[in-house]
Amino acid sequence: MEQAIVLGASALGAGIAMIAGLGPGIGEGYCGGKAVEAIGRQPEASGAITKQMIIGDALAETTGLYSLIIALLLMYANPFIGQLG
Amino acid sequence: MKGMIFLTGMSLIAEEARTFTIEGPLKSISFELFGKEWIISESVVMQWVVLIVLGVLFFVFGRNLKVVPTSRRQVIAEWVVTLFEGQVIGTMGQSYKKAYTPYIGSLFCFIAVSCLMGIFGLRNPTSDLSVTLSWGLITFVLVLYNKLKTGGVKGYLKSFFEPMPFMLPFNIIGDFANPIAQSLRLFGNNISGMVIGGLVYFALGGFAAGLLSIGVPAVLSLYFDFFSAIIQSFIFITLTMSYVSMAEA
Repeated sequence: MEQAIVLGASALGAGIAMIAGLGPGIGEGYCGGKAVEAIGRQPEASGAITKQMIIGDALAETTGLYSLIIALLLMYANPFIGQLG
Repeated sequence: MKGMIFLTGMSLIAEEARTFTIEGPLKSISFELFGKEWIISESVVMQWVVLIVLGVLFFVFGRNLKVVPTSRRQVIAEWVVTLFEGQVIGTMGQSYKKAYTPYIGSLFCFIAVSCLMGIFGLRNPTSDLSVTLSWGLITFVLVLYNKLKTGGVKGYLKSFFEPMPFMLPFNIIGDFANPIAQSLRLFGNNISGMVIGGLVYFALGGFAAGLLSIGVPAVLSLYFDFFSAIIQSFIFITLTMSYVSMAEA
């Protein structure tokens, strides 16, 4: 019974942790939109702009990856199961 | 690392609930030394494989170089080196070209080949946090060396108290966050590719449809193994370069 509660709560926690995926989504959307604006204004600099955009995307992605790691920990290396004794 | 995911829709087809597990890196070699057990994991062995592959490749490409290239081999090698030189000059400036191009180039090749090993069905070393953390720490040491070289010990300690003395804790956290963020980014990208790939194989196993299980994973593998690997190694070297050039500013 206790184990079932811990497993269920961990699964819920993993799902809730992934709500953090919203942030990188919004950030990368801004990044892409601004890059398209910049290319529209200055098409000859599209190579440099695309490079900067990809770096910005990757930096924005980091917070999402933190939550992903939390979710993976809860699903595959659950630290709470061991505490049941 | 063990866990269970029950796919309720799948279990109707497969009749019994199947479980999906992810295995951590295997123990390849273990030996006793000084009364303790030392483990060399699969990730380390895979890095040795990458080192041997890259070493042979670099040796073959670097042999018999001429002032005016006559072989196709040398033209390719020069093109690759010029590419990395352009990156270093673009991010760090002209004066860093000679000192940092070899390091940045080999770092990129090492990370990219390590990530690409997943394509050949081998376990890629980057899906192990201890490996990526050690790479992040190498960058941290490089940045620390550059900071000490330009400002000295006094200048380095003083930089923690800028712009205001009460910023000290934030500056310390900010200094140590860089290698952690860098390594977690690489690790997270690779492990997510591995998990999603494994889940898709697992789900397709229930359908037993030959065509789907060949086509769908290939597209995913192209994105997660190939595109993501190149982009992530590019970002790793770009961040390394900008940290180093910031350290000297």
